[in-house]
Amino acid sequence: MLVMQQLTKKFRTDDVETHALRDFNLNVNEGDFIAVTGPSGSGKTTFLTIAGLLEDFDSGSYQLDGESVQGLNDKALSRLRNEKIGFIFQSFNLIADLNLFDNVDLPLRYRGFNAAERKRRIEQSLELVGLQHRLKHLPTQLSGGQQQRVAIARALAGEPRFLLADEPTGNLDSQMAQSVMALLEQINQRGTTIVMVTHDSELAKRASRNLVIRDGRASEQVVNQRAVSQFASA
Amino acid sequence: MIAIGPTFRALLRNKVGALLLALQIALTMTVVVNAIHVISSRGDLMSRPSGLDEANQFYLTSTGYASNFNEALVVAEDLRQLRALPAVAGAIQTNATPLGSSGWSTGLSLSMDEQASGVGAAVYFVDETGLDTLGVKLIAGRNFRANEIGEREKNAIDWPSQIIVTEATAAGLFPDLSPAQVVGKSVYISSTSQTTIIGVIDRLQAPWNGWSGVERSMLIPQRTLFGSSRYFIRAQPGQLNQAMRAVQDHLDQHPQGRLIRNVRTMDETRARSYRDDQALQGVLWVTMTALVIITALGIIGMVSFNVNRRRKQIGTRRALGASRNDIIGYFMLENLLTTVVGLVLGSVSSILLNIWLVDTFNLPRIGWLYLPVAMLLLIVVGLLAVYGPARKAAAISPALATRQ
Repeated sequence: MLVMQQLTKKFRTDDVETHALRDFNLNVNEGDFIAVTGPSGSGKTTFLTIAGLLEDFDSGSYQLDGESVQGLNDKALSRLRNEKIGFIFQSFNLIADLNLFDNVDLPLRYRGFNAAERKRRIEQSLELVGLQHRLKHLPTQLSGGQQQRVAIARALAGEPRFLLADEPTGNLDSQMAQSVMALLEQINQRGTTIVMVTHDSELAKRASRNLVIRDGRASEQVVNQRAVSQFASA
Repeated sequence: MIAIGPTFRALLRNKVGALLLALQIALTMTVVVNAIHVISSRGDLMSRPSGLDEANQFYLTSTGYASNFNEALVVAEDLRQLRALPAVAGAIQTNATPLGSSGWSTGLSLSMDEQASGVGAAVYFVDETGLDTLGVKLIAGRNFRANEIGEREKNAIDWPSQIIVTEATAAGLFPDLSPAQVVGKSVYISSTSQTTIIGVIDRLQAPWNGWSGVERSMLIPQRTLFGSSRYFIRAQPGQLNQAMRAVQDHLDQHPQGRLIRNVRTMDETRARSYRDDQALQGVLWVTMTALVIITALGIIGMVSFNVNRRRKQIGTRRALGASRNDIIGYFMLENLLTTVVGLVLGSVSSILLNIWLVDTFNLPRIGWLYLPVAMLLLIVVGLLAVYGPARKAAAISPALATRQ
């Protein structure tokens, strides 16, 4: 459902041309939980932003849910991003001036749902992350782990088929990280495909597939089957 | 996507900046509404017709200096010859001109009692060609006849037995009578001389544009012998310049012991008369424009600041599905809400300021249309001001912005 073939992305300055991704191939299947690892500067984030339609690429092809994204205009890309992709960021990226309800409401408004439908989805997704009783709270009134849960609720409210997570536990202590990871696994078990960039090898082991990016190229590692089955049944 | 609720709630959480901007908009609206009102009021005053055929008229002052200067003969001869010039349609001797800032006025009343109520009116001395030369329209009664034109010495206190008045003068004296009914009525000039109104003209303004009785004038059938008099000349339509040249050339060639000076068209006179009003209009326009520009710059500054402060938020919104137009719309809406608050405050303060101006300077009340027009103007200015920074916000790379 997410297919990248021979994808290339270069960044240019006046003097230097850097290959962020080169001949990048990836095939993500429905229900996958892919952990993407690699050293700093290897191209992980570039991959994630291209996968999330936040950045274009120079050559190659990218099909999302059977639809080529190449040549789509801003409106079409925004619609695709809104309907099919949910984002989770390392630093949560909640909007500080909006309460939890309005934060989760944002992608639903962009989708054009009516007020009743939005309310239903907001309450449902906040209930999923255990924060349904804090609708009117501001993000600053929550702990880091709770904020990331809200971000997950926001990502899930539109019922996207993909969740793209960029170091979702990077700003959390280990206990909160475990909690958030368990939540992501739960979401994956409900059928949502997840691609997660992480530096944490322990968390990566809990994914069904491990992708390592080095020098802009992807290679797949053998998955720790025992860990997968252990956490898949949790 | 229009999200008034969340945008307004978010604004309330950052109210200082938004409130300051709203107050600036309110102040601008207050000044704009009242400035436009004053400009418009002055414009109405300035556009009042004087009753003359101004585009084709000019005048000059003739002052005798020679010891043997015979004013009666010279004036009569001058007028006879000037009227014969091809470019001249009419020429009279008079004492003043509408909008000329100097002239005579006296009181008209219905009895000799000095305490009797009456009206003040400007005085113009004319002969039987006065109506045509001035270009005024007789709406009731008749014109003076040639044999009714007398002479007036400088120190004379008597007044002739017949006068023509403007419709406003007639209405001031006889509020319940039509112009036709006023003809034949006796009135008193300066509470001393009884005279009869033989005609009513539609309009002839007094020399003083700021006078509350500016529309009240009367024509006196007399030639003046004051040593200095004004020749008022009406050119043939479209031949003002030719007439002015011809008149001046003729008078220069026939000096007859008098000095010609202050040759001035009625257009110049009007411009001089309303110079202060025009200056005030200019100052108000500049002030108003400067204030609107400052407000627009304030909005640009505020939105630019918000765009820089919210780069990450913009990236996040884009990641959540906002298109570039959604980002532009978001900043537009936010500014619109701030502007609306400012306009509501501005409407109240505009009315309060107008009440004060009405009470203090006796200005007319603002028309209801001023408020919506000023609101629309400031909304448009606000949206134009916010568009540039909002477009920059929409162009921010979401990939970079989300990682900040």
